Amino acid sequence: MREEKNKEMMIRLFRVSKHYGKKSALIDLTVDVAADDFVFVTGPSGAGKSTMIKLLYMGEAISSGSILVDGVNLARVSRKQVPLLRRKFGIIFQDFKLIPTRTVFDNVALVLEVAGVRSREIQTRVMEVLDQVGIADRSGEYPQILSGGEQQRVAVARAIIANPKIIVADEPTGSLDPDSAARIFSLLQTAHAKGAAVIIATHDRELIASHDGRVIRLEDGRIAKSSSEPDMLQ
Amino acid sequence: MMPLPVQRAVRDYRNHKYLHGLCALTIALSVFIVSAFSLFYLNATEVLDAWRKGIRIIAYLSAETTDADRKTLTAATAQLEGVAHVAFVSRDAAFAELRLKLGDQTSLLAGLSDNPLPDALEIRLSDDYHNLEDIDKLADRIRSLEYVDDVEYAQKWLHRFKGVYNLFQITGFVLVAVFFMATLMITANTIRLIMYARRQEIEIMRIVGADDVFIKYPLYIQSVVLGFVGAAAGLACLFLAYILTLANVGSSSVVSMFDIRFIPPALVLGIIVCSMIIGWLGCWFSIRKFLRF
Repeated sequence: MREEKNKEMMIRLFRVSKHYGKKSALIDLTVDVAADDFVFVTGPSGAGKSTMIKLLYMGEAISSGSILVDGVNLARVSRKQVPLLRRKFGIIFQDFKLIPTRTVFDNVALVLEVAGVRSREIQTRVMEVLDQVGIADRSGEYPQILSGGEQQRVAVARAIIANPKIIVADEPTGSLDPDSAARIFSLLQTAHAKGAAVIIATHDRELIASHDGRVIRLEDGRIAKSSSEPDMLQ
Repeated sequence: MMPLPVQRAVRDYRNHKYLHGLCALTIALSVFIVSAFSLFYLNATEVLDAWRKGIRIIAYLSAETTDADRKTLTAATAQLEGVAHVAFVSRDAAFAELRLKLGDQTSLLAGLSDNPLPDALEIRLSDDYHNLEDIDKLADRIRSLEYVDDVEYAQKWLHRFKGVYNLFQITGFVLVAVFFMATLMITANTIRLIMYARRQEIEIMRIVGADDVFIKYPLYIQSVVLGFVGAAAGLACLFLAYILTLANVGSSSVVSMFDIRFIPPALVLGIIVCSMIIGWLGCWFSIRKFLRF
């Protein structure tokens, strides 16, 4: 317990609720994520996994409660500060969210362009990270001609290139074959090893069971189980 | 190397060629219509001004006016404000001129036993003396002078002319304002269409932490450049149409009687700047909707 308290907390959700009209997506959720955590958020469809992820990067506003990200209370983040908050994150989606009119290189470079990095440095860093995810040879191609696994590797490259403090992934392997899924997961583990807190929303029990990490199971917007061992989910 | 926002603007042109082309075409068409109207308006105004400058007041002298009286009257008239030149037209000279103007129909004068025309003073006005009320006052003053029987200066025509001229001016301003607004709305909507096509891209930019400035700058650059390109294309088309029209107008045509000029460089510059401002405004109107976090 003492050890838990001394850990640096990257994300703190305190009694967070999110309602869409009369429907509640999250109810009274309290979760802490440490800076070195690797967290799986799981649960059935509609449990609130994606909603929880969106609330973290202010993709949605909370209805009640409070969220702290890297010591910043999101309730006090102004509209102008939202981009700065989002730069703390690397975000991965099931549908990749790549810009179809930009090449692989340009999609990944976007994160650095946004952060104001110089063109020459962008060139080097993008090629490095594309090499790391094993897709450097396709840097000049457009996303739509890549396979799902390759597109997700581009998305991972985009998520990790700026060395974010937090990586959130919403069903990152949901539409991939097992080999591609394993490769993506391995890349996320590497990013975690380099110091990023990783939160993965997934309903893939096999993925959770075969990897180490803390598990939070949501059901109907509430925490059903929270553990540091995957087998506790069974 | 180009600055990053410019590089991104160029890349966006390439990625959305059709929409950007459509936007430039829309602006070009609007600029063409407004410029064509300006061309017509400026030349028509010049023609009307030339006619107005040609206004003369004819003061008919009474029959008992002696040469000495006429000289005194001529000197007094020349002193009046707005009078540029006074010329004496003798009744004989006037009759000879009438005969000349009648040409083949001189026989109409055959029944006259005597010259019915009076001596007259032909009074030309200063170039800057165009105000109709002033001309009326000047005519009244001349009429009140001794030895002046009557004064003629196409009063009715001048009043009608003033009405037409005023209507022409008002119509000009209203049309330019309407076209300005129409161009602005069309441009704003076309840019909105471009943004709508790019909404996914803008959403992704926002997710990876792009701020308003990062998203806006290239859009503003694109819109201002589209305004410039559209205006340049519209004006180039108008110039081409102007050259072709002049080349195809025969010497017998009414148009050939006037010195038709293209719109002056200052106005060309003004139209281009206005078009760029319209591009900027169109972008500003459209952007507000898409940049809400």
